[in-house]
Amino acid sequence: MRNLLSLLLLVGTAMAKEDIFAYPRVYWENSVTVWFWVAVAIYIIVAVPSIYFMVKYRYRPKENEEGAHIEGNTAIEIVWTVIPTIIVLFLGTYSFANFVKQRNAPEGALEIKVTAFMWGWEFEYPNGKKVYTFFNQVADPEKNIYLMPEKVDDSAKAYIPAGKPIKVYCTSRDVIHSFFVHEARVTEDCVPGRITKLWFQFNKPGEYWVFCREYCGTWHSRMASVLKVVSEDEFNEWLGGQEAQQTAPANEPAQTVQQ
Amino acid sequence: MAVAHVPPSGTWYGATLKEWILTTDHKKVGMLYFITSLIFFIVAGLFGLIIRFEQSAPGIQLPGMFGQEGADLYNYVLTGHGAVMLLWWAVTVWTGGFANFLVPLMIGARDVAFPRLNAFSYWSFFGASLLVLLTLIPNNWIKMLWTGYAPYSMNDNAGPTSLYVLIVLLYSVSSTAGSVNMITTIVSMRAKGMGWTKLNLFVHAIMAASLIQLFGVPSLMGSVILLFTDKYLGTNFYNPMLGGDPLLYQHLLWFYSHPVVYVMILPAFGVFSEVISTMSRKPIFGYISMALAIYAIAFVGFETWVHHMFVSGVPDWLRVLFSYTTLFVAVPTGIKIFNWVATLHKASIRYNTPMLFTFGGILMFLIGGLTGIPNAMVSIDIGISDSLFIVGHFHYVLGMALTFGAFSGIYYWYPKVTGRMFSEGLGKLSFWLMLVGANIMFFFQMYMGMAEGMPRRYPDYPPIPEWVQLMQIQTVGALIMSVGILLSFINWFRSLKGPKAPDNPWGSPSLEWSMTTTPVGPNNFKKHPVEVPDDWHPYAYYKGYHTHI
Repeated sequence: MRNLLSLLLLVGTAMAKEDIFAYPRVYWENSVTVWFWVAVAIYIIVAVPSIYFMVKYRYRPKENEEGAHIEGNTAIEIVWTVIPTIIVLFLGTYSFANFVKQRNAPEGALEIKVTAFMWGWEFEYPNGKKVYTFFNQVADPEKNIYLMPEKVDDSAKAYIPAGKPIKVYCTSRDVIHSFFVHEARVTEDCVPGRITKLWFQFNKPGEYWVFCREYCGTWHSRMASVLKVVSEDEFNEWLGGQEAQQTAPANEPAQTVQQ
Repeated sequence: MAVAHVPPSGTWYGATLKEWILTTDHKKVGMLYFITSLIFFIVAGLFGLIIRFEQSAPGIQLPGMFGQEGADLYNYVLTGHGAVMLLWWAVTVWTGGFANFLVPLMIGARDVAFPRLNAFSYWSFFGASLLVLLTLIPNNWIKMLWTGYAPYSMNDNAGPTSLYVLIVLLYSVSSTAGSVNMITTIVSMRAKGMGWTKLNLFVHAIMAASLIQLFGVPSLMGSVILLFTDKYLGTNFYNPMLGGDPLLYQHLLWFYSHPVVYVMILPAFGVFSEVISTMSRKPIFGYISMALAIYAIAFVGFETWVHHMFVSGVPDWLRVLFSYTTLFVAVPTGIKIFNWVATLHKASIRYNTPMLFTFGGILMFLIGGLTGIPNAMVSIDIGISDSLFIVGHFHYVLGMALTFGAFSGIYYWYPKVTGRMFSEGLGKLSFWLMLVGANIMFFFQMYMGMAEGMPRRYPDYPPIPEWVQLMQIQTVGALIMSVGILLSFINWFRSLKGPKAPDNPWGSPSLEWSMTTTPVGPNNFKKHPVEVPDDWHPYAYYKGYHTHI
């Protein structure tokens, strides 16, 4: 229900500046709003006349036996070619403008490295501290299902400072994965042999899921991690200056095929 | 010109088993394709239900077996549902079933241009079908999904890559042979006096689809052959450790696999045009622009493949460029929808089963097309890529618009193929169940992807109450839709003994209705070569034309 309400809010009103919960989610939401209203308008413009015609021009014996002999109308054809062209150019350009903001991280972002493997995540912070996440750290061992983020042990969570842009460099050790920050609505594939980038920012402390969004094998659906968004001071305390101890990998990542 | 073997019994389907196997007759080959396609449709549909039940609750419900995890079984079922629904149902039902049966009848030909090649294309397809059945053996599960992205598909976790490659190659051989056949038939075997502007729009759609197959399939074949050599022969096209590039596979795959969705949907558009025009007793509005839009979609469809890779690490400028080209597909598609609506203006619409399926298909395609826009807008796609929204969108266009089009076509040409009339009541009930069920299911799927951000291909997910609730609503919708599809199948089987149909039950001037007997005679037309009068047009409904509604 919370999401339904937020969606209604999203399509109903533009969000006020201070309510921004996450970047680049806000740009994504702007694009979605524009698309949604354009789509609703087009749907009404097409569906209402067609349903009206369906009712009005139905076959009625002795009254409406034959259709009119109309082959076409060049003027109206040109109109409904040109107007959609203008609409798609507008939509494309609007999304282009938002895309530029979604892809380019602001100055002063905290840079972290994310390495994906089958099936878990490794986060590396600028001072060398690493966090590993595997499914058995975010799951209930008895029922063998996911826990909710607040029940997960803190050692498996990647801490993120609130209100600060985070620039992520992703790569992968074996197959293609995709680093998806759930509440920030941004994803980017982690491709072996390449480094891809994305950025996000959370303004509200809390705990948010990270999922893998590119199919990567048996436990693709269990390749989740938790971001713990905390205040800047708490983050600095957690990060520390020294070499941080690493959580030991609980199971071995699978071997890739090597010739 | 090979002479098709004509059975002595007079009807095209009254033949012995040997004649069915050795046949080169386009009607029999079409029916073989059709039956195979429908069987695989049912199998893949059952796979889809397994997926729905698995997703109805968090955790893995499917049992692990034969040393494989439950999630492996899920991934295999997902692969099967995807690949079989796309290649064996969505493509083959048109390019194999409908096209083979109808195109020669619509253009006034005795048979297709290369009857034996036609038989060959069916039997290579049959071989691919047998290989697909081999994957049911437990240790043969292909778990790389129908896309088979490298480098995962080179991993031992993904199942037998060689089997996947051979299936795709055999299928490609069949597709190429079939499309060459169709293009040659349409170009060179039209009746006397039938110019390009007097073809049925369905024939135009098959022409465009065959051209897409002809240009696109080599790219798919190349991608899987490189995959094969990479895994087994030590080349390094896709292996990044040794200088390959995983994105190359995606480019090669999507260069075919995006245009192939137009192979699937264009013939459905053709069926919509035929049915709407016939049941409205009115010529199709703007015939020329309808035909040009078909070719425009086919052409632009080849310039949009990168929208499947908006988050795969391709350069940002490329994403924006392809965002624009993808959006441009909306223009010719929009023209077609507007033309259909305009055809209804001042018409005389008969509401029977084919017409209902066509209306449903068009209105669902409208939703499917409008929800395709965010997938093309790169700023939205970054948030919904690989989410359930994508699944919902392509099930609206393929699972609903296409399937409704196919069902509409089956009902529409049922009398011509079998010589019997189907039951209208059962057909209408089936339509309403399918419409309601599919809408419940796929609308909530899209909502889940957009508002909740649920990723695709997840048998297991965090037990967020809204997610569980939405998944269970979808399962209810899937069950309603299954009942609807089952009713249609029951209807087709029962009606084989139904009342005899007249030669032209819908009163259409199109050749396959107005110039052939029901069921079609062995040589299709009473006299060859077929000639059409100067003022003839497949959509020329004029006052006083005899109807049997």
